[in-house]
Amino acid sequence: MVDVGTTLEMVQASQVGLKAVGAGLAVGLAGVGTGLGEMGIGAAAVGATAENRDMFGLALLFTVIPETIVIFGLVVALLLLF
Amino acid sequence: MAGVSSGSAQYIYACTRMRVRKSQLIPREDYLRMLNMSLPEITRFIGETNYRSEIDELGTSFSGINLVEVALSWNLAKEYQSILELVPGELKHFTASYLRRWDIQNVVTVLRGKMQKLQPGKIKEVLVPAGRLDRVALDRLIAEESPERVAEALKGERFYPVIERELPRAIETGSFAHLENELYKGYYARLITDAKGGIKGGDIFLKYIRLEIDIRNIQNLFRLRAGHVREDVRELLIGGGSFTIDELQRLSGLESQDEFIDSLKRQVKMIPLLNTLEEIRGKTALHEIEVALTRVQLDQMEQMSKRYAFSILPVLVYLEKKKYEVANLRALARGKEVGLPGERLQSYLVM
Repeated sequence: MVDVGTTLEMVQASQVGLKAVGAGLAVGLAGVGTGLGEMGIGAAAVGATAENRDMFGLALLFTVIPETIVIFGLVVALLLLF
Repeated sequence: MAGVSSGSAQYIYACTRMRVRKSQLIPREDYLRMLNMSLPEITRFIGETNYRSEIDELGTSFSGINLVEVALSWNLAKEYQSILELVPGELKHFTASYLRRWDIQNVVTVLRGKMQKLQPGKIKEVLVPAGRLDRVALDRLIAEESPERVAEALKGERFYPVIERELPRAIETGSFAHLENELYKGYYARLITDAKGGIKGGDIFLKYIRLEIDIRNIQNLFRLRAGHVREDVRELLIGGGSFTIDELQRLSGLESQDEFIDSLKRQVKMIPLLNTLEEIRGKTALHEIEVALTRVQLDQMEQMSKRYAFSILPVLVYLEKKKYEVANLRALARGKEVGLPGERLQSYLVM
């Protein structure tokens, strides 16, 4: 005989768990993507700043533009969790 | 994630630095302005650009045209050495092979100076220590007494076998032209071997070398025509380009300039070069033809460097453009010193 009550609890628990995994993946993968994007931009930004100090502000701005992708990831994660 | 590695970030870093430096080179408008200046004004003008530290440093020991000359050489050497330090891995390998050209120039200058028994200080003024032989190594060469001793001191260098083979003949005839040709031919052959050595990015380097050899050969053919040299010129041409030596020899044998340009055009595939060859048809002055061809080479390299944005090409484009900037400033200063008119000088500038 199958204990129906326990099974329902288990399903609910695993639903919450999988949501948490999904939220983690959303932020984590977005972070990896951002990192890869920033790699090239950061290298170029350091190169440009090394030659011309005035470039620093603009270079920094360009470098953090891919950070927006993490924000998308974070938003998706928050939507999943709450 | 294919193709993404820490190596690519270094390429991006180095190539961006080269692009920024290239954008800081003297623009065309400034050359045009300098054409109307006198020599002291030009000295002051370049003293306000990237050449400031050299002009300030050398200002006490040199003056006039010598100040400009020495400051330009020092700046070029310093710039090239700093680039060699900042480029990473494979790019350093290719840049170092490219810069060996300066070793050849310096060694031949030292040999010529020793042959003419010039003062060591005088020889030192005209050297550009931009290659593998640095200031210390060159000082040691200058301190040697005779050309033979200089050659001996070079034992172990890549080009030593050529010097060993050709030097007796050069001393006997008193002309280093043949030795110089052989050294440069060896240099290009070595560049091709380096590019084909299996290092990543070698194929792109090879494209540049082919272009350089082709343009150099075409320039040489125009020079030979201007000098009315009709005999066997195989010895004066560089192998390894997209033309074979025999083809070039056949071209050099053609009588009329029009016929020569037509046959050349049939073999060339690059559209900008075709257009330039058509423009050259109307020109008779050799220096104008050479400047036009150099211009095509630089434009073509620039285009290739955009296609292969993070490769050896942006570095080479900067190195070449810097070389011509220095050559232009030197021509300007020399021309002004002897009082050449502006229009005449302008035709000698690569801009």
